[in-house]
Amino acid sequence: MMNVVEVSTSKIYPIEVLPVESEDYKLLSKTRYFFNWEEEKTQETYKLVIKGQDDILGLISLERIPSEWRIHIRLLCVSLENRGERKIYENIAGNLIAFVSKIAVIEFGEFACVSLRPKSSIAPHYITKYNMNVTGVTLSLEVPEILDLINRYEHGE
Amino acid sequence: MANKDNMINLDSDFGIDSRYKTKREREQDSIALMHARLERLKNLPKQQILRAKLMQLKLKMEDFLHSTINDNQAHFTQFLEFYVDTLYSKRSDFTRDLNITAVSLSQVINKHREPKEEFLFKLLFHSEMVFKDVCKFDNRIWLEVYFRDKINQKLSLQSEWKEKWDKQVRFSELPV
Repeated sequence: MMNVVEVSTSKIYPIEVLPVESEDYKLLSKTRYFFNWEEEKTQETYKLVIKGQDDILGLISLERIPSEWRIHIRLLCVSLENRGERKIYENIAGNLIAFVSKIAVIEFGEFACVSLRPKSSIAPHYITKYNMNVTGVTLSLEVPEILDLINRYEHGE
Repeated sequence: MANKDNMINLDSDFGIDSRYKTKREREQDSIALMHARLERLKNLPKQQILRAKLMQLKLKMEDFLHSTINDNQAHFTQFLEFYVDTLYSKRSDFTRDLNITAVSLSQVINKHREPKEEFLFKLLFHSEMVFKDVCKFDNRIWLEVYFRDKINQKLSLQSEWKEKWDKQVRFSELPV
């Protein structure tokens, strides 16, 4: 069971990651979700919500590259109120990355790989927090780190 | 720009744009990444490969249960076959560990007979031991997959049994 933690109360809420539906795009403003998500309409895109609620706390779009046993994260964001020191919920980005990691393991088993290319200024954060490998400007999760990450977020970090 | 950088450092999880801008950038990335990964794969211990395959099996079973798949396929036996062949180089070693006959396992995997209750329970206990150091695993998932298959099989034959039984059932108004 994956979950997020309410920072102010430490209360745990179970979450689910669901495909973004066409009516969701009306709510995905650039102010709250950082990117123009309309551009990702033709891509595989998912939203993170607390179970039983509609409010979208985070988003991720991805590209499956079966010929390379890899899933590449295209865009990832958490909603405005969940950024910085005053964030309401913790673990949104981690759960989204763990969700994509699960897809990669289902598809590619021991060859599974999730990749992303953050700006160099934030790359160290991803390397440290998610134990990612570095190849040039690309960061990746592979076995065994990808399995550890799934376990970490399955147990609710 | 300085403010933006400060914001990034405050919470780097807020957003990433990782899209490739050019075809060349993507190709270069693919080549470099694959090269590095193959090097790492060469040194990947067998134990981690086994761990990955078992995690894959667990996630596939969960995925099947959460899906709306209503086909008539024997998912239970597919998962069982993967489980046995991942753990053992010879299936006879698995049957020895479960104290069952090789013939009975073969018949279950080849869909020539239903697994006995004894087999199902032994499988539950076996997988509990196997997954202990791999990931969180509720061994009842085997039963859930097995019975989900049964439901799917029954529903796929609905047109046959519906015709037979439908005519024999009616709803009389309840006495007021």
